[in-house]
Amino acid sequence: MQNITIYIDDKKLEVESGKTILEVCRNNNIEILTMCHLEGVLDVGACRLCLVEIEGVNKLLSACTTKVAANMVIRTSTERIKRYQRITTELLFAERNHMCSVCVANGKCELQNLGYKVEMDSIRYPRLFPQCEVDTSHSWYVLDHNRCIMCTRCVRVCSEVEGAFNWSVKNRGYQVRIISDFNTPWGESTTCTSCGKCLHACPTGALWPKAIVQGQLDKKPEIIEELMAKRKMGL
Amino acid sequence: MDSKKKIATVCLGGCSGCHMSILDIDERILDVAKLADIVKSPIVDGKEFPEGVDIAIVEGSVTSDEHWHEIKLIRKRSKFIVALGDCAVMTNVTGMRNYFPLQEVIDEAYKNSVSNDAEGAEPNDPALLKLHDKVVPLQEVVKVDFIIPGCPPSADTIFYVLFEFLNNRIPNLSEVNKLKYG
Ligand code: SF4
Ligand code: SF4
Ligand code: SF4
Ligand code: FES
Repeated sequence: MQNITIYIDDKKLEVESGKTILEVCRNNNIEILTMCHLEGVLDVGACRLCLVEIEGVNKLLSACTTKVAANMVIRTSTERIKRYQRITTELLFAERNHMCSVCVANGKCELQNLGYKVEMDSIRYPRLFPQCEVDTSHSWYVLDHNRCIMCTRCVRVCSEVEGAFNWSVKNRGYQVRIISDFNTPWGESTTCTSCGKCLHACPTGALWPKAIVQGQLDKKPEIIEELMAKRKMGL
Repeated sequence: MDSKKKIATVCLGGCSGCHMSILDIDERILDVAKLADIVKSPIVDGKEFPEGVDIAIVEGSVTSDEHWHEIKLIRKRSKFIVALGDCAVMTNVTGMRNYFPLQEVIDEAYKNSVSNDAEGAEPNDPALLKLHDKVVPLQEVVKVDFIIPGCPPSADTIFYVLFEFLNNRIPNLSEVNKLKYG
Protein backbone atom coordinates (compact mmCIF):
# COMPACT_ATOMS: atom_id res chain seq x y z
CA MET A 1 0.00 0.00 0.00
CA GLN A 2 1.07 3.49 -0.77
CA ASN A 3 1.94 5.86 2.06
CA ILE A 4 0.33 9.28 2.33
CA THR A 5 0.77 12.28 4.59
CA ILE A 6 -2.08 13.47 6.79
CA TYR A 7 -2.38 15.82 9.75
CA ILE A 8 -4.30 14.93 12.91
CA ASP A 9 -4.59 17.53 15.65
CA ASP A 10 -1.58 19.36 14.15
CA LYS A 11 0.52 16.20 14.15
CA LYS A 12 2.04 15.19 10.81
CA LEU A 13 1.63 11.47 10.12
CA GLU A 14 2.80 9.13 7.38
CA VAL A 15 0.07 6.51 7.02
CA GLU A 16 -1.02 3.75 4.70
CA SER A 17 -3.77 4.82 2.33
CA GLY A 18 -6.98 2.84 2.46
CA LYS A 19 -7.21 2.98 6.26
CA THR A 20 -10.09 4.66 8.06
CA ILE A 21 -9.45 7.73 10.18
CA LEU A 22 -10.40 5.64 13.22
CA GLU A 23 -7.81 2.96 12.45
CA VAL A 24 -5.11 5.58 12.01
CA CYS A 25 -6.06 7.32 15.26
CA ARG A 26 -6.10 4.07 17.25
CA ASN A 27 -2.68 3.12 15.80
CA ASN A 28 -1.32 6.47 16.91
CA ASN A 29 -2.88 6.60 20.38
CA ILE A 30 -5.28 9.38 19.49
CA GLU A 31 -8.49 8.82 21.40
CA ILE A 32 -11.74 8.62 19.45
CA LEU A 33 -14.98 7.79 21.25
CA THR A 34 -16.93 4.97 19.61
CA MET A 35 -20.00 2.89 20.40
CA CYS A 36 -21.21 1.13 17.24
CA HIS A 37 -17.68 0.29 16.13
CA LEU A 38 -16.60 -3.23 17.06
CA GLU A 39 -13.29 -4.78 16.08
CA GLY A 40 -13.99 -7.79 13.88
CA VAL A 41 -17.15 -6.61 12.11
CA LEU A 42 -17.85 -4.02 9.45
CA ASP A 43 -18.50 -0.38 10.36
CA VAL A 44 -21.88 1.22 9.74
CA GLY A 45 -21.49 4.71 11.21
CA ALA A 46 -24.62 4.42 13.32
CA CYS A 47 -23.82 6.09 16.66
CA ARG A 48 -22.15 9.32 15.46
CA LEU A 49 -19.80 9.43 18.44
CA CYS A 50 -16.62 9.21 16.39
CA LEU A 51 -17.26 12.44 14.49
CA VAL A 52 -14.18 14.41 13.44
CA GLU A 53 -13.63 17.76 11.75
CA ILE A 54 -11.92 17.74 8.37
CA GLU A 55 -10.62 20.97 6.92
CA GLY A 56 -12.60 22.03 3.86
CA VAL A 57 -15.57 19.83 4.76
CA ASN A 58 -18.50 21.61 6.33
CA LYS A 59 -20.12 18.74 8.15
CA LEU A 60 -18.55 16.46 10.69
CA LEU A 61 -17.70 12.99 9.37
CA SER A 62 -17.59 9.68 11.21
CA ALA A 63 -14.01 8.48 11.70
CA CYS A 64 -15.02 4.81 11.52
CA THR A 65 -16.42 5.06 7.99
CA THR A 66 -14.23 7.77 6.45
CA LYS A 67 -10.95 6.79 4.82
CA VAL A 68 -7.85 8.93 5.05
CA ALA A 69 -6.80 10.84 1.94
CA ALA A 70 -3.54 12.57 1.06
CA ASN A 71 -3.03 15.89 2.89
CA MET A 72 -6.21 15.54 4.95
CA VAL A 73 -6.25 17.90 7.94
CA ILE A 74 -8.25 16.25 10.73
CA ARG A 75 -9.25 17.49 14.16
CA THR A 76 -10.52 15.09 16.80
CA SER A 77 -11.14 17.07 19.97
CA THR A 78 -12.38 20.57 19.25
CA GLU A 79 -15.02 22.20 21.46
CA ARG A 80 -17.58 21.59 18.71
CA ILE A 81 -16.83 17.86 18.67
CA LYS A 82 -16.95 17.63 22.45
CA ARG A 83 -20.29 19.40 22.46
CA TYR A 84 -21.72 16.95 19.93
CA GLN A 85 -20.34 13.94 21.80
CA ARG A 86 -22.07 15.08 24.96
CA ILE A 87 -25.37 15.71 23.15
CA THR A 88 -25.21 12.33 21.38
CA THR A 89 -24.54 10.55 24.66
CA GLU A 90 -27.42 12.29 26.42
CA LEU A 91 -29.76 11.39 23.58
CA LEU A 92 -28.68 7.74 23.80
CA PHE A 93 -29.71 7.81 27.47
CA ALA A 94 -32.91 9.78 26.85
CA GLU A 95 -34.32 7.59 24.08
CA ARG A 96 -34.98 4.37 26.03
CA ASN A 97 -35.12 3.52 29.72
CA HIS A 98 -31.77 3.53 31.45
CA MET A 99 -32.11 2.97 35.19
CA CYS A 100 -28.55 1.91 35.92
CA SER A 101 -29.24 1.05 39.57
CA VAL A 102 -31.55 -1.80 38.56
CA CYS A 103 -29.75 -2.82 35.37
CA VAL A 104 -27.82 -6.05 35.03
CA ALA A 105 -24.96 -4.20 33.34
CA ASN A 106 -24.48 -1.64 36.11
CA GLY A 107 -20.77 -1.04 36.57
CA LYS A 108 -19.88 -3.08 33.46
CA CYS A 109 -21.53 -0.98 30.79
CA GLU A 110 -19.94 0.79 27.82
CA LEU A 111 -22.73 3.37 27.80
CA GLN A 112 -22.08 4.30 31.43
CA ASN A 113 -18.37 4.63 30.70
CA LEU A 114 -19.15 6.81 27.74
CA GLY A 115 -21.22 9.07 30.01
CA TYR A 116 -18.26 9.47 32.35
CA LYS A 117 -15.91 10.21 29.43
CA VAL A 118 -18.08 13.03 28.09
CA GLU A 119 -18.60 14.31 31.66
CA MET A 120 -22.37 13.79 31.57
CA ASP A 121 -23.77 14.64 35.02
CA SER A 122 -27.39 14.75 33.88
CA ILE A 123 -29.62 14.36 30.83
CA ARG A 124 -30.73 17.77 29.61
CA TYR A 125 -33.37 16.48 27.22
CA PRO A 126 -36.85 15.25 28.12
CA ARG A 127 -36.81 11.48 28.24
CA LEU A 128 -39.20 9.49 26.06
CA PHE A 129 -39.93 6.71 28.59
CA PRO A 130 -41.20 4.31 25.89
CA GLN A 131 -42.90 1.06 26.91
CA CYS A 132 -40.32 -1.51 25.88
CA GLU A 133 -40.52 -5.27 25.75
CA VAL A 134 -38.20 -7.68 27.47
CA ASP A 135 -37.86 -10.91 25.47
CA THR A 136 -37.09 -13.77 27.88
CA SER A 137 -38.25 -16.54 25.55
CA HIS A 138 -34.76 -17.89 24.80
CA SER A 139 -33.76 -20.66 27.23
CA TRP A 140 -30.51 -18.97 28.26
CA TYR A 141 -30.53 -15.37 27.06
CA VAL A 142 -32.51 -12.14 27.49
CA LEU A 143 -33.08 -9.23 25.10
CA ASP A 144 -34.15 -6.12 27.01
CA HIS A 145 -35.22 -3.38 24.59
CA ASN A 146 -35.19 -0.85 27.45
CA ARG A 147 -31.40 -0.80 27.37
CA CYS A 148 -30.79 -1.12 23.62
CA ILE A 149 -29.02 1.80 21.91
CA MET A 150 -29.40 0.42 18.36
CA CYS A 151 -25.69 0.15 17.74
CA THR A 152 -26.45 -3.02 15.68
CA ARG A 153 -23.30 -4.73 16.92
CA CYS A 154 -25.43 -7.84 17.63
CA VAL A 155 -26.84 -7.80 14.09
CA ARG A 156 -23.41 -7.64 12.49
CA VAL A 157 -21.81 -10.22 14.75
CA CYS A 158 -24.63 -12.69 14.18
CA SER A 159 -24.47 -12.34 10.42
CA GLU A 160 -20.78 -11.66 9.74
CA VAL A 161 -19.12 -13.86 12.35
CA GLU A 162 -21.62 -16.57 13.27
CA GLY A 163 -23.34 -16.56 9.87
CA ALA A 164 -26.70 -17.19 11.52
CA PHE A 165 -28.53 -13.97 10.50
CA ASN A 166 -30.90 -14.13 13.46
CA TRP A 167 -30.97 -10.40 14.22
CA SER A 168 -32.24 -7.57 12.10
CA VAL A 169 -33.90 -4.20 12.50
CA LYS A 170 -37.53 -3.09 12.15
CA ASN A 171 -39.12 0.37 11.97
CA ARG A 172 -37.42 3.77 11.91
CA GLY A 173 -36.84 6.71 14.20
CA TYR A 174 -37.77 6.29 17.85
CA GLN A 175 -39.77 3.14 17.02
CA VAL A 176 -36.75 1.31 15.66
CA ARG A 177 -36.23 -2.11 17.27
CA ILE A 178 -33.94 -5.11 17.02
CA ILE A 179 -35.88 -8.21 15.92
CA SER A 180 -35.19 -11.93 16.02
CA ASP A 181 -35.94 -13.82 12.78
CA PHE A 182 -39.11 -12.32 11.29
CA ASN A 183 -40.11 -10.39 14.40
CA THR A 184 -40.82 -13.49 16.47
CA PRO A 185 -39.79 -14.40 20.02
CA TRP A 186 -36.07 -15.18 20.26
CA GLY A 187 -36.83 -18.55 21.84
CA GLU A 188 -38.67 -19.60 18.68
CA SER A 189 -35.83 -18.66 16.36
CA THR A 190 -34.95 -21.19 13.68
CA THR A 191 -31.68 -19.41 12.86
CA CYS A 192 -30.11 -18.66 16.27
CA THR A 193 -27.46 -21.24 17.13
CA SER A 194 -27.32 -20.05 20.75
CA CYS A 195 -23.64 -19.26 20.28
CA GLY A 196 -23.83 -16.23 22.58
CA LYS A 197 -21.65 -13.97 20.44
CA CYS A 198 -24.25 -11.21 20.35
CA LEU A 199 -24.18 -11.05 24.16
CA HIS A 200 -20.46 -10.33 24.13
CA ALA A 201 -20.83 -7.82 21.30
CA CYS A 202 -23.59 -5.84 23.01
CA PRO A 203 -22.18 -2.78 24.83
CA THR A 204 -25.08 -2.39 27.27
CA GLY A 205 -27.50 -4.35 29.43
CA ALA A 206 -29.70 -5.12 26.41
CA LEU A 207 -28.37 -8.64 25.79
CA TRP A 208 -27.32 -10.86 28.66
CA PRO A 209 -27.32 -14.44 29.90
CA LYS A 210 -30.03 -15.45 32.37
CA ALA A 211 -27.47 -17.25 34.51
CA ILE A 212 -25.95 -14.06 35.94
CA VAL A 213 -26.93 -11.33 38.37
CA GLN A 214 -25.98 -7.65 38.58
CA GLY A 215 -22.28 -7.13 39.13
CA GLN A 216 -21.29 -10.43 37.52
CA LEU A 217 -21.80 -9.57 33.88
CA ASP A 218 -18.60 -10.36 32.06
CA LYS A 219 -18.76 -9.25 28.46
CA LYS A 220 -15.76 -9.76 26.25
CA PRO A 221 -16.32 -7.76 23.06
CA GLU A 222 -12.65 -8.27 22.18
CA ILE A 223 -13.22 -11.98 21.47
CA ILE A 224 -15.21 -11.03 18.37
CA GLU A 225 -12.05 -9.89 16.60
CA GLU A 226 -10.29 -13.18 17.44
CA LEU A 227 -13.27 -15.22 16.29
CA MET A 228 -13.47 -13.27 13.04
CA ALA A 229 -9.76 -13.80 12.39
CA LYS A 230 -10.22 -17.53 12.90
CA ARG A 231 -13.23 -17.56 10.62
CA LYS A 232 -11.22 -15.86 7.89
CA MET A 233 -8.55 -18.54 8.23
CA GLY A 234 -11.27 -21.13 7.83
CA LEU A 235 -10.91 -22.47 11.38
CA MET B 1 -20.58 37.29 63.90
CA ASP B 2 -21.37 33.74 62.95
CA SER B 3 -19.77 33.11 59.56
CA LYS B 4 -20.90 29.52 59.37
CA LYS B 5 -22.80 28.45 56.28
CA LYS B 6 -26.29 26.98 56.53
CA ILE B 7 -26.89 23.54 55.04
CA ALA B 8 -30.28 21.88 54.56
CA THR B 9 -30.95 18.36 53.30
CA VAL B 10 -34.33 17.26 51.96
CA CYS B 11 -35.76 13.98 50.70
CA LEU B 12 -38.44 14.28 47.98
CA GLY B 13 -39.26 11.28 45.73
CA GLY B 14 -36.40 9.09 46.89
CA CYS B 15 -35.85 6.04 49.08
CA SER B 16 -33.67 7.82 51.69
CA GLY B 17 -30.70 5.84 50.39
CA CYS B 18 -28.91 9.05 49.45
CA HIS B 19 -29.41 10.30 53.01
CA MET B 20 -27.92 7.03 54.26
CA SER B 21 -24.92 7.88 52.13
CA ILE B 22 -24.78 11.33 53.74
CA LEU B 23 -24.69 9.61 57.14
CA ASP B 24 -21.86 7.41 55.87
CA ILE B 25 -19.64 10.49 55.92
CA ASP B 26 -19.16 9.31 59.52
CA GLU B 27 -16.74 11.34 61.62
CA ARG B 28 -16.04 13.69 58.74
CA ILE B 29 -19.35 15.29 59.69
CA LEU B 30 -17.24 17.05 62.35
CA ASP B 31 -15.23 18.77 59.61
CA VAL B 32 -18.51 19.85 58.06
CA ALA B 33 -19.84 21.02 61.42
CA LYS B 34 -16.83 23.32 61.87
CA LEU B 35 -17.81 25.20 58.73
CA ALA B 36 -21.58 24.86 58.64
CA ASP B 37 -24.78 24.33 60.59
CA ILE B 38 -27.32 21.78 59.43
CA VAL B 39 -30.51 23.79 59.79
CA LYS B 40 -32.93 21.31 58.26
CA SER B 41 -32.76 17.60 57.52
CA PRO B 42 -34.86 14.45 57.97
CA ILE B 43 -32.36 13.52 60.66
CA VAL B 44 -32.68 16.87 62.47
CA ASP B 45 -36.38 17.75 62.61
CA GLY B 46 -39.52 18.11 60.53
CA LYS B 47 -40.09 21.86 60.44
CA GLU B 48 -40.81 23.93 57.34
CA PHE B 49 -37.87 24.63 55.06
CA PRO B 50 -36.14 27.70 56.62
CA GLU B 51 -35.09 30.97 54.94
CA GLY B 52 -31.52 31.93 54.19
CA VAL B 53 -30.09 28.50 53.42
CA ASP B 54 -26.71 28.51 51.67
CA ILE B 55 -26.63 24.93 50.36
CA ALA B 56 -29.75 22.80 49.93
CA ILE B 57 -28.99 19.15 49.20
CA VAL B 58 -32.03 17.53 47.65
CA GLU B 59 -32.56 13.80 47.22
CA GLY B 60 -35.32 12.35 45.04
CA SER B 61 -37.41 13.35 42.06
CA VAL B 62 -40.59 15.42 41.81
CA THR B 63 -43.46 12.93 41.86
CA SER B 64 -46.38 14.94 43.31
CA ASP B 65 -47.91 18.32 44.09
CA GLU B 66 -46.21 18.29 47.49
CA HIS B 67 -42.74 17.78 46.00
CA TRP B 68 -43.41 20.44 43.38
CA HIS B 69 -44.30 23.08 45.99
CA GLU B 70 -41.43 22.01 48.24
CA ILE B 71 -38.75 22.30 45.55
CA LYS B 72 -40.13 25.70 44.52
CA LEU B 73 -39.90 26.83 48.15
CA ILE B 74 -36.40 25.40 48.47
CA ARG B 75 -35.35 27.32 45.36
CA LYS B 76 -36.74 30.55 46.78
CA ARG B 77 -35.01 30.13 50.11
CA SER B 78 -31.63 28.72 49.08
CA LYS B 79 -28.60 30.21 47.39
CA PHE B 80 -27.46 26.89 46.03
CA ILE B 81 -29.28 23.67 45.20
CA VAL B 82 -27.39 20.39 44.92
CA ALA B 83 -29.33 17.56 43.23
CA LEU B 84 -28.24 14.43 45.06
CA GLY B 85 -28.53 10.99 43.45
CA ASP B 86 -29.91 9.44 40.27
CA CYS B 87 -33.58 9.95 41.26
CA ALA B 88 -33.10 13.70 41.68
CA VAL B 89 -30.96 13.91 38.54
CA MET B 90 -32.67 11.53 36.08
CA THR B 91 -35.67 10.04 37.97
CA ASN B 92 -34.07 6.58 38.11
CA VAL B 93 -36.30 3.98 39.82
CA THR B 94 -39.04 6.51 40.61
CA GLY B 95 -39.31 7.20 36.86
CA MET B 96 -40.05 3.57 36.03
CA ARG B 97 -43.75 4.29 36.43
CA ASN B 98 -43.51 6.85 33.63
CA TYR B 99 -44.01 4.12 31.04
CA PHE B 100 -47.56 3.55 32.31
CA PRO B 101 -50.67 5.68 32.85
CA LEU B 102 -50.87 6.75 36.52
CA GLN B 103 -54.18 5.00 37.23
CA GLU B 104 -52.77 1.69 35.98
CA VAL B 105 -49.86 2.05 38.38
CA ILE B 106 -52.15 2.84 41.33
CA ASP B 107 -54.45 -0.09 40.48
CA GLU B 108 -51.45 -2.37 40.24
CA ALA B 109 -50.22 -1.30 43.67
CA TYR B 110 -53.49 -1.14 45.60
CA LYS B 111 -55.98 -3.39 43.77
CA ASN B 112 -54.32 -6.04 41.60
CA SER B 113 -51.36 -6.82 43.79
CA VAL B 114 -51.65 -10.25 45.42
CA SER B 115 -50.65 -8.86 48.81
CA ASN B 116 -53.76 -6.68 49.04
CA ASP B 117 -56.94 -7.44 50.93
CA ALA B 118 -60.08 -8.21 48.92
CA GLU B 119 -61.35 -4.64 48.43
CA GLY B 120 -58.00 -3.13 47.58
CA ALA B 121 -58.94 0.43 48.46
CA GLU B 122 -57.02 3.28 46.87
CA PRO B 123 -55.71 5.66 49.60
CA ASN B 124 -57.55 8.98 49.26
CA ASP B 125 -57.14 10.90 52.51
CA PRO B 126 -57.04 14.63 51.63
CA ALA B 127 -53.84 15.01 53.67
CA LEU B 128 -51.97 12.70 51.29
CA LEU B 129 -49.88 14.09 48.45
CA LYS B 130 -51.36 13.96 44.95
CA LEU B 131 -49.21 12.02 42.51
CA HIS B 132 -48.38 13.70 39.21
CA ASP B 133 -48.90 11.79 35.96
CA LYS B 134 -45.19 11.76 35.25
CA VAL B 135 -42.16 11.85 37.52
CA VAL B 136 -39.57 14.47 36.58
CA PRO B 137 -36.03 15.26 37.74
CA LEU B 138 -35.44 18.39 39.84
CA GLN B 139 -33.92 20.41 37.02
CA GLU B 140 -37.15 20.17 35.04
CA VAL B 141 -38.89 22.22 37.76
CA VAL B 142 -36.22 24.56 39.14
CA LYS B 143 -32.70 25.67 38.32
CA VAL B 144 -30.22 23.27 39.91
CA ASP B 145 -26.72 24.54 40.67
CA PHE B 146 -24.78 21.34 41.13
CA ILE B 147 -25.44 17.72 40.25
CA ILE B 148 -24.22 14.54 41.95
CA PRO B 149 -25.49 11.45 40.12
CA GLY B 150 -25.24 7.94 41.59
CA CYS B 151 -27.61 5.47 43.24
CA PRO B 152 -26.58 6.36 45.82
CA PRO B 153 -23.58 8.64 45.41
CA SER B 154 -20.77 7.47 47.67
CA ALA B 155 -20.13 9.15 51.01
CA ASP B 156 -16.70 10.14 49.68
CA THR B 157 -18.28 11.98 46.77
CA ILE B 158 -20.81 13.75 48.98
CA PHE B 159 -18.13 14.80 51.43
CA TYR B 160 -15.85 15.97 48.62
CA VAL B 161 -18.59 18.18 47.16
CA LEU B 162 -19.63 19.60 50.52
CA PHE B 163 -16.09 20.28 51.61
CA GLU B 164 -15.23 22.07 48.37
CA PHE B 165 -18.32 24.27 48.58
CA LEU B 166 -17.76 25.06 52.26
CA ASN B 167 -14.25 26.19 51.38
CA ASN B 168 -15.59 28.35 48.57
CA ARG B 169 -14.26 26.13 45.80
CA ILE B 170 -16.29 24.68 42.93
CA PRO B 171 -16.09 20.88 42.91
CA ASN B 172 -15.56 19.00 39.63
CA LEU B 173 -16.68 15.37 39.70
CA SER B 174 -15.10 14.45 36.35
CA GLU B 175 -11.74 15.81 37.39
CA VAL B 176 -11.63 13.61 40.48
CA ASN B 177 -13.22 10.56 38.79
CA LYS B 178 -16.30 10.64 40.95
CA LEU B 179 -19.00 10.60 38.28
CA LYS B 180 -21.17 7.50 38.71
CA TYR B 181 -24.64 6.35 37.69
CA GLY B 182 -26.32 3.45 39.45
S1 SF4 C 1 -27.49 -0.36 29.84
FE1 SF4 C 1 -25.83 0.73 30.89
S2 SF4 C 1 -26.48 2.87 30.87
FE2 SF4 C 1 -28.28 1.63 30.44
S3 SF4 C 1 -29.24 1.27 32.44
FE3 SF4 C 1 -27.86 -0.47 32.04
S4 SF4 C 1 -25.96 0.14 33.06
FE4 SF4 C 1 -27.16 2.00 32.81
S1 SF4 D 1 -26.68 -16.39 20.09
FE1 SF4 D 1 -25.38 -16.41 18.22
S2 SF4 D 1 -26.73 -17.15 16.64
FE2 SF4 D 1 -28.05 -16.58 18.34
S3 SF4 D 1 -28.62 -14.50 17.92
FE3 SF4 D 1 -26.80 -14.38 19.18
S4 SF4 D 1 -25.10 -14.26 17.73
FE4 SF4 D 1 -26.88 -14.94 16.60
S1 SF4 E 1 -29.13 -5.28 21.56
FE1 SF4 E 1 -27.13 -4.49 22.24
S2 SF4 E 1 -25.77 -4.87 20.49
FE2 SF4 E 1 -27.85 -5.05 19.73
S3 SF4 E 1 -28.33 -3.02 18.93
FE3 SF4 E 1 -29.08 -3.10 21.04
S4 SF4 E 1 -27.41 -2.26 22.26
FE4 SF4 E 1 -26.55 -2.77 20.27
S1 FES F 1 -18.23 4.48 16.02
FE1 FES F 1 -18.32 5.67 14.23
S2 FES F 1 -20.40 6.15 14.07
FE2 FES F 1 -20.36 4.79 15.79
